[in-house]
Amino acid sequence: MILSDLLGSEVRDAQGQKVGLVADARFALNGPVRGSGSVAGARMIGLVVGRHGASRRMGYERRDVNRPWPLAQILGRRDRGSFLVLWPDIESVRPGQVVLRNGFTRHDASL
Amino acid sequence: MNENGKAPAGKVLDAILHLLDRQIKDTEGLVVSVVDDLEISLPDDGRTLDADAEAPMLTNLLMGPTLATRLFGGQPPPERMMRIPWSDVARVGTVLELRNRAEGLPVRWVEHWLRDHVIARIPGGRHDPE
Repeated sequence: MILSDLLGSEVRDAQGQKVGLVADARFALNGPVRGSGSVAGARMIGLVVGRHGASRRMGYERRDVNRPWPLAQILGRRDRGSFLVLWPDIESVRPGQVVLRNGFTRHDASL
Repeated sequence: MNENGKAPAGKVLDAILHLLDRQIKDTEGLVVSVVDDLEISLPDDGRTLDADAEAPMLTNLLMGPTLATRLFGGQPPPERMMRIPWSDVARVGTVLELRNRAEGLPVRWVEHWLRDHVIARIPGGRHDPE
């Protein structure tokens, strides 16, 4: 799947209620290393779900980035309610729509 | 964060924040391209995914003619995009460094074509400046 087909897709829970839009995809470099000198494989942890879909957050999703204060406040308010949904909680994916499993967990999306 | 509530092993990357639009450089520091998109080993046909299945992997960096689609919307067809396998990436930082030289990569064919068909026809275009 191409990432840009996923970004901005509607995210719905098992009952069909919209819970947000795909804002980003999160990976961890903990997969197998294929070839000498290669970086570890990037395994998908889950999706960041927010109200506004895919957008540049200018690094303010990092926990320790909070200056300049006014900008941090504005962007923090804009991203309020964003959460991380882990891979095992994703039931199905197609371009434009992601469905989550019943009883999915909302994790803190900050880095 | 993983399913046990713990931070996952390995460096954590957000696709937009850490990868998209980043420069790609080869082993000699030559700029190859920028990351226009990513390819993931995730089925996109809407089938129900197995909760115990292995998480999808990032398989390829995609580069292609995205200027027009960024201005006017949409996206180029996937077959028009050029791919660099993730296994060719040696380091992820402010730029993505490859573990091989750019010479053999298909992403530089425009540059090679211009070199061979345009620059080479200009007097002095076949050697370094003296």
